[in-house]
Amino acid sequence: MMYGYEWDTSSTLAFATSILPILGIGLIVTLKAAAVGYAIALVLGLVLALLRRSRVKAVSWAVACFTEFVRDTPLLVQLFFLYYVLPDFGIVLPAFMTGALALGLQYSAYTSEVYRGGINAIPRGQWEAATALNLTRLQLYRDIVIPQMIPRIVPSLGNYLVSMLKETPVLSVVTVLDMLGLANIIGERTFDYLVPLSMVGLIFLPLTLTCSALIHFIERILPKAGIPLR
Amino acid sequence: MHKTLCYGIAALALAVGMGGASALTLDEVKSAGYVQGATANEVPYGYMKEDGTAAGIGPDVAIAVFKRMGINEVNWTVTPFGTLIPGLKARRFAFAAAEQNISPERCKQVTFTEPNSSYGEGLLVKKGNPKKLTTYADIAKDPSLKVAVVSGANNIDFLRAVGVKDNQIIIIQANADALSTVQTRADAYAATELTVSKLAEGGKDVEQVKPFTDPVVNGKPVRNYGGFAFRPEDKDLYDAFNKALVEFRKTDDYKKILTSYGLSEESIKAAAAKNVADLCAGK
Amino acid sequence: MTWIQYLAPLLKGAQITIVISLASIALGGIIAFVAGIARISSNPILSGIAFTYIALFRGTPLLVQLFWFYYALPLIGISFDPITTGIMTLSLLTGAFGAEVVRGALLAVPPAQHEAARALNFSKSYTLWHISMPQAIIEMMPAFGNLAIQNLKDTALVSLISIADLTFQAQSLRNITLDSATVYTLTLLGYFIIALFLMFIMRFIEMKLRRGAAFPRDAHS
Repeated sequence: MMYGYEWDTSSTLAFATSILPILGIGLIVTLKAAAVGYAIALVLGLVLALLRRSRVKAVSWAVACFTEFVRDTPLLVQLFFLYYVLPDFGIVLPAFMTGALALGLQYSAYTSEVYRGGINAIPRGQWEAATALNLTRLQLYRDIVIPQMIPRIVPSLGNYLVSMLKETPVLSVVTVLDMLGLANIIGERTFDYLVPLSMVGLIFLPLTLTCSALIHFIERILPKAGIPLR
Repeated sequence: MHKTLCYGIAALALAVGMGGASALTLDEVKSAGYVQGATANEVPYGYMKEDGTAAGIGPDVAIAVFKRMGINEVNWTVTPFGTLIPGLKARRFAFAAAEQNISPERCKQVTFTEPNSSYGEGLLVKKGNPKKLTTYADIAKDPSLKVAVVSGANNIDFLRAVGVKDNQIIIIQANADALSTVQTRADAYAATELTVSKLAEGGKDVEQVKPFTDPVVNGKPVRNYGGFAFRPEDKDLYDAFNKALVEFRKTDDYKKILTSYGLSEESIKAAAAKNVADLCAGK
Repeated sequence: MTWIQYLAPLLKGAQITIVISLASIALGGIIAFVAGIARISSNPILSGIAFTYIALFRGTPLLVQLFWFYYALPLIGISFDPITTGIMTLSLLTGAFGAEVVRGALLAVPPAQHEAARALNFSKSYTLWHISMPQAIIEMMPAFGNLAIQNLKDTALVSLISIADLTFQAQSLRNITLDSATVYTLTLLGYFIIALFLMFIMRFIEMKLRRGAAFPRDAHS
């Protein structure tokens, strides 16, 4: 048993229904990890995108290399790196935070590209007008750039959220007890992997579909012109 | 367009057509010239050396026994401990040599040979034993303590039996992760006494808890008996191996292998005194 | 061990990674075309099967798929060796995403082309292969390039079903040497270098295609 719930291996249906609460707890871990990871990705990605626009060539070049490097290397290896190397430098994060950090880092490389695309899509004329009107950089970004950027970047950012949800099972490799981790434990104890793994797959399917539908809905209700922040 | 589609699907179907085989017999293995074994990379029960060969109590004895059966080549797969039995059932290898404890649940899934070794439990802790642990039950006494355990190993049952809560248990994939886990995220690592002593030898900042009291489950202190696992349907191969193993146990070479890995003579005698039928029945 | 001694086992792993990646990209490409075309087929059974396959593999995590094929399927009697399982799962995943790319690109061919083809009495099959496909393929290439890199990154997961790829070797090395920083840095660099080669190859293919099929020779020359 796990978390106080006994499983009942008498029949396939009984097994499936008895492990549902256990997988439910795993689902919460999955959702939490994706939420934290996504928040990190959104913030870090914006930072990277803005740094990339820096006029200091060294900074923009370094950020470009870093972003490309993170984008083209596997999440699993990055996760192992964070999990085993950080403690060597005295930073011992709990496994969950390490996992969320790894997700956030990998996806920040993607979100920074989305932000860049969004910023670049704003017509040149607007930037020039802002200079002519003597707007500060803060006013420029807060009132002109970001409001117009948001509707444009929501589809891509939304897709990355769905992708991230599907990558959270990788965290089970560093002891995070998400749905897949629990399914593997149940499989090892009962020697039946078929039911737990199939259940995990069956839970993910509506999860990703709902998420995608939610994002499409948000896309539709967002005003095309932009969202004023004030 | 439909023709292309049909060819595509046919090609795919052909590619998918492999899998499945029938029961392994000794003759089949002899004619193949080699047998495929698995171990879980846990020093000293069974592990891979840097040069890619397998060593340890399980592999060394298995290689010697197969040699007596006329099979000189044993190939090894390293797989996480918890996946030894599923992998065996999935026909990925012919036998598992990780000195898995012969327990009634495992006996329902695979066929074990007569016991090969016997061993007690142990705890690995940070140097100086800051939490003053002497047995598994000590961990249960302090709910803030965390103990690591390898996925699929019996230790989790013993921990639970003495009252350790699920949220105190960290499940790691492999024995090799134990060192770094005890140094950073867990207060202790629960495994067999030999595993712990080998880890303590090799790692800095960690030590084996001594003196250690075996956990008491169902009124008796826990004692594990390790054996080789075969598929139930490979009866022919299993019978041949088991017979050869029992013969080999009487030799001096056998004793030499086991003692070289740190097992005591008493534990060897204890293993020889039990038989697999009793162990599978839970006695 | 110095870091130079790490290179030999890591290189052995890299070989396996490259083989698995190239094989599953190639196979995935074939599946992508088959499924993508089936998806826009007028036959409801074909498009239904394709839709289900694509939704299933795009909607579930790769790691769950890998474990399912490796641990769960054998319990009903179908078992493949690790490498076959790995290549098969990766191909099916890449194929599902690729199918959407194929479908999108084919649907993006201007309707005027289809009308002209009908007017000229071309069969549906001819239209597909000689009119739509050459134009669509150019559209697909950038997306295929991304899928190829994604596939390379996904191969790291096969280390979890006992395949001795680059990540698996890195883990073994780390267990023996406990030198996590160097081992993982070398591993990340290894993947990065392979990714650069992959991008180069994909861009080369894209260039070749641009110069060739999409621009049929002038009928009068």
